Amino acid sequence: MKISYNWLKEYAYFYLSPQELADKLTNAGLVVADIKPKEDDFFLEIEITSNRPDCLGMIGIAREVTAAVGGSLHLPDTDFETGNTDITNLVTVSVEDPLLCPRYTARVVRNVTVRPSPEWLQKRLLCIGLRPVNNIVDITNYVMFETGQPLHAFDLDKVPDRRVVVRKASNGEKITTINGAQRVLFHTMLVVADSKKPIAVAGIMGGKETEVSESTRDILLECAHFEPRQVRRTSKELGITSDSSYRFERGTDLEGVEFASKRAAKLMKDLADGEIAGEVVDIRSRKCKEKMITLRVDRLHTVLGVEIKRDVASDILRRLQFTIAREVNNFIDVTVPSFRRDIDREIDLIEEIARVYGYNNIPTKTSIHIRSSGKTKYEIAEDCIRQCLTGLGFYEIKTYSIVDTSSLQSMHLWSDKEPIDIANPLRQEESRLRMCLLPNLINVKRYNANYGVERVRIFEIARVYLAGDTLPHEKTCLSVITDADFYSLKGILELLLQQLGIPSKGEWTPFKEPKLFKDERAAQVFLDGRVLGYLGEASKELEFKTQTSLLELDVDLLIESANFTKKYQVISQYPSVIRDLAIIIDERVAWSSIEQCIADIRIPFFKGVNFFDIYRGKQIPEGQKSVAFSLCFQAQDRTLKGEEVDIAVQTALDTLREKLGAELRKI
Amino acid sequence: MIKELEEVKKDFLNEINSVATLKDIEQLKIKYLGRKGIISDFMKTIPTVPAEQRATYGLQINTLKNEFTSLIGDVTRRLSRGAIPRTEKELFDITLPGKQPPLGKKHPITQTIDDVKEAFARLGFDVAYGPEVELEYYNFDALNIPSDHPSRTDFDTFYIKNDILLRSQTSTVQIRIMEKQKPPIRIIAPGRVYRPDTVDARHSFMFHQVEGLLVDEGVSFTDLKEVLNQFIKTYFGKDVQMRFRPSFFPFTEPSAEVDISCSICSGKGCSVCSYSGWVEILGAGMVDPHVFKAVHYDAEKYTGFAFGMGIERITMLKYGIDDIRLFYENDIRFLSQF
Repeated sequence: MKISYNWLKEYAYFYLSPQELADKLTNAGLVVADIKPKEDDFFLEIEITSNRPDCLGMIGIAREVTAAVGGSLHLPDTDFETGNTDITNLVTVSVEDPLLCPRYTARVVRNVTVRPSPEWLQKRLLCIGLRPVNNIVDITNYVMFETGQPLHAFDLDKVPDRRVVVRKASNGEKITTINGAQRVLFHTMLVVADSKKPIAVAGIMGGKETEVSESTRDILLECAHFEPRQVRRTSKELGITSDSSYRFERGTDLEGVEFASKRAAKLMKDLADGEIAGEVVDIRSRKCKEKMITLRVDRLHTVLGVEIKRDVASDILRRLQFTIAREVNNFIDVTVPSFRRDIDREIDLIEEIARVYGYNNIPTKTSIHIRSSGKTKYEIAEDCIRQCLTGLGFYEIKTYSIVDTSSLQSMHLWSDKEPIDIANPLRQEESRLRMCLLPNLINVKRYNANYGVERVRIFEIARVYLAGDTLPHEKTCLSVITDADFYSLKGILELLLQQLGIPSKGEWTPFKEPKLFKDERAAQVFLDGRVLGYLGEASKELEFKTQTSLLELDVDLLIESANFTKKYQVISQYPSVIRDLAIIIDERVAWSSIEQCIADIRIPFFKGVNFFDIYRGKQIPEGQKSVAFSLCFQAQDRTLKGEEVDIAVQTALDTLREKLGAELRKI
Repeated sequence: MIKELEEVKKDFLNEINSVATLKDIEQLKIKYLGRKGIISDFMKTIPTVPAEQRATYGLQINTLKNEFTSLIGDVTRRLSRGAIPRTEKELFDITLPGKQPPLGKKHPITQTIDDVKEAFARLGFDVAYGPEVELEYYNFDALNIPSDHPSRTDFDTFYIKNDILLRSQTSTVQIRIMEKQKPPIRIIAPGRVYRPDTVDARHSFMFHQVEGLLVDEGVSFTDLKEVLNQFIKTYFGKDVQMRFRPSFFPFTEPSAEVDISCSICSGKGCSVCSYSGWVEILGAGMVDPHVFKAVHYDAEKYTGFAFGMGIERITMLKYGIDDIRLFYENDIRFLSQF
């Protein structure tokens, strides 16, 4: 809403500078977004929230000013004398769709002289950014900005048969609007028509043919109420917005129609020397229901937390033009003015009082009781994962959940079900909910490579969206990209499992996904038989210039398996004994079998086995490999003797030979 | 140390100081440390020393040997580099840069969410989450948003199907929590939200919000003001001023927008605050009785407040970031700054 500082003073007396006025309005909920000097005036741009269409007129703003600073509201004079002819002899009006047009008024002003508006009026329009046209058009604009009620002036001589119908358009009907554009209409749209064709798109824009010109003599002044939803829809369908449609869309005052019509007619009489025909055509199918609301003063106190006395509250409501019907004990009964369609309930009145009382005058204090709040397991685990990875040099990234429909993005890592598409996407590039995180990480790696950072370590924790019953299953995943090989990334996964208190190292099976992973360098990991995720070296198809490995994990499963209870294990006072061994074994035997074999023996004092190297070379026969590892032994109550350890090592070697055909490598 | 050894040391130091080439140092090494060198000769004399002095004697020879080895090493290195004057001691340059191990960072959005969670946890707020793909009911109906409200259109909300959408606000979590739990309630709910805005420096079709909700008997607007005041002082600093402005949200009444004094210009007026001295950081209000009705709470018995803020927005304010797209480009040069 654009206003003029000088113009506003016509309705409210105040002694405030434009800046002070702006502060008052802002504090009352009418945010002043801009103030600019304009000649001897000031222009103010005010943001009006959608619930306050009553403030889309200068009088509405003035009402807020008087509520805030006191004083009374001054409404313009609308008394006039009419000519001898009655309007009924001059024009016939009918409304075919009373639901979409619950009120339509028409006045006729005869023998006007169309000429430029007087300077004062032009200046006011110019201040709020409107271009003066002629006195008649300017008056309709002026009164719209004054009252918030749009009006339209037709050249009555150009309305054939002097007959006006408010009706639905028929499909394909055309109208050229006053801005010169031709519009094709549909049966859903409401028009004002003469006996044959539309002369205005109801509430949005008038037609060119009946536009007021210098030769216009008689004016048909339309002042009506159109259904907000109807205007909004038509405006959107035709792609036209106007100051008029803006107001009708938000809802005008059904009872304010008469006042605006009279005000405009009077100005036409005064400024265009017109003669107002007697009577008014006022076709209405609906009356605004009078709303009576009771406010409990103690409830006001409960909600606001501050004691506002009854008379202070009722005074505020009165200044906002509510009628106080009764005021007794704890109660104030008020009647809501017709222009406040947003007020229905007691809580609405409480807000009005708070607003005018001043939010900043309500104390900032609290009596809410103390309450402890701890982290959930979910948060502890997420924090733990982030802390680990950032500590290891990984940057956390955040990428869009909405992705393109490429085959990479649509990979079924987590579900075989169909992807979830957006019905109204912004662009094809952003039309699908992602089903895994890795593709976006790959893109981020490429993005950084383009800026010269080839080796990156990044991770993301976010949801993927998998088709479900009613709503999708939103699974939280962790995805990691690093600049190292399979085993380095596997090491990080092992660290994460340890940090989350998960004793398992996962069950590993080979995995093939050529879009992501290098052949034979990828695995699917399970935790107690459930898929934990995927890990592998990047496929050549991804065209990374340096060594890259990828990981994607099910965080929900990780968190479910996490265990943060820790128990101290007694540290032995006696040294452990470590024996390094190298065995020659068939190429096809996996480390996990060797490890399992040793663990199964249950050797006395055995503490653990640590892998350190695999060697294949001249000294090792074809089809075999040398696997080096160390065995660790320890007793809680004494230092182990060399011979004891020798026996234990021999037991291990014997079993490995027997079960896996391994031979001790002689160096 | 015995005299002979002292003599040897003196000679050695003289000679090493006049060494000029790698060849010289090689000769020096052979002369003193070689198999038939001076040190070796001394070693051979050990058995001739009386038994009780033998250990000390041996030790002294060894020390000398180590000293010579180390000095020859230093000079050899220096000569092979050739840069530093050979007569002065090498400079241990403490102003050379250190060797940094790589350290990653949490994304600035995570950092802000963590800060907000931390601040509210101290005020007793638990953290709650809800689905991002939501029923229209939770995003609109239960929040008292009329069926013809413009925010429900295709232009303002992403739809999957008829009544299933991508949540456009985290207020959905309020309803889900109140459906499951009886008062008292004290939660915050961070998460991703979606709106079909074309991406530019100020807009993103995906961003993050944090929603807050407190419901109990006797909760009032003054409590709302104080809780937000505490948060603002914690997050933005003790000197920051707060301002409440009346506003409109369908799910709160009275509704407010909350401004803080501009941290860039300290309230004097600058481009960040559009020369008003204030920047808007969140929306808040008392929970509308219609919302309580939707979750079957007695609106006469309970009152409460809710608030919501954009994480990107407060992060941008705090660090002076001028383009929201930076958060999702994930340029390491950006991420490493926080």
